[in-house]
Amino acid sequence: MFSFFRKKSSATTAKDRLTIAIMSDRESNLYPFMDEMKAELMEVVKKYIGVKTIDIKKETVDGIEALSIEVELEDS
Amino acid sequence: MGSIIAVISGKGGVGKTTTTANVGLGIAINNKRCVVVDFDIGQRNLDMILGLENRVVFDIVQVMDGEANVKQALIKSKFDANLFFLAASQTKDKSVLDSDKIQKLVTDLAEDFDYVILDAPAGIESGYEHTIEFADSAIIVVNPEVSSIRDADRAIGILDSKSQKVKEGKEVIKYLVINRIDPKMVQSGEMLTSEDILEILSIPLIGKVPEDRGIIDASNQGKPIILDKNSPAGQAYKRIATRICGEMVAMEDVETIQTGLMSKIKGMFK
Repeated sequence: MFSFFRKKSSATTAKDRLTIAIMSDRESNLYPFMDEMKAELMEVVKKYIGVKTIDIKKETVDGIEALSIEVELEDS
Repeated sequence: MGSIIAVISGKGGVGKTTTTANVGLGIAINNKRCVVVDFDIGQRNLDMILGLENRVVFDIVQVMDGEANVKQALIKSKFDANLFFLAASQTKDKSVLDSDKIQKLVTDLAEDFDYVILDAPAGIESGYEHTIEFADSAIIVVNPEVSSIRDADRAIGILDSKSQKVKEGKEVIKYLVINRIDPKMVQSGEMLTSEDILEILSIPLIGKVPEDRGIIDASNQGKPIILDKNSPAGQAYKRIATRICGEMVAMEDVETIQTGLMSKIKGMFK
């Protein structure tokens, strides 16, 4: 009887975990060209300044969808 | 022109081939001409499930390469004259598949048959992509278990981006089969319910198949379980086949079937 209150059923845990995992899978598969775009951006920026890494993330801020591009520069 | 249906799952071992064999035979029992094609090149199995492994002379790759014609390669089922089978190649690997040849083969088959059912290989590699390329619809087979559902979602994503129908701006019709449901585990909260799975995948349900020990015995004998009138899984497959043929059949509640009043009373005395 008390175990009923102690923890939620494992099926509920499965559902919660799956929902999050699948949302993240769908998000990352939305732009299959992401790696290619990253490499091309890298080439362009490198012409002007030394770059270590480029990270692109899709964000939704106040209902506006945006790509945030983070460029980490080479140590000078 | 017949309908081309791919049977897919993402993850292996969830019952794709069993579903292909039983639904194919079920469609044939419904008096429609049906052909089941094994697309799992290098890992042929549908022949065993249908009990036809000794009758294979020519395979799908030989037909696509023009070494044999379709009529020579098609094998008639022992169980229903409306059901035919085309074997996968066991020796070659999936790199032999070619889009133009596949399109010709499946459209030729669709000229002759009401239903052309393609048993996809597990995974989401090229063999899978080739299976779904020219499909009008897909049966997605899942087990109520996290890895199967996650992999199925990836397979559906690829179906929605790579199939010819989608490229033409049309939609691939999807049917979800939830296979190997353990009613007792669902009741005790240890297994995802069909509602949970439908909510996560958001595709229409065509049938629920309970776990059934008879499946192993059926594949041991090469005699699809749908022929066993006392098998709960066999009857579930029969309903699915009838629904695919366009007839309305009420959705059986396989998740509570074993926990009716009588079994509850019996349970009290255990």
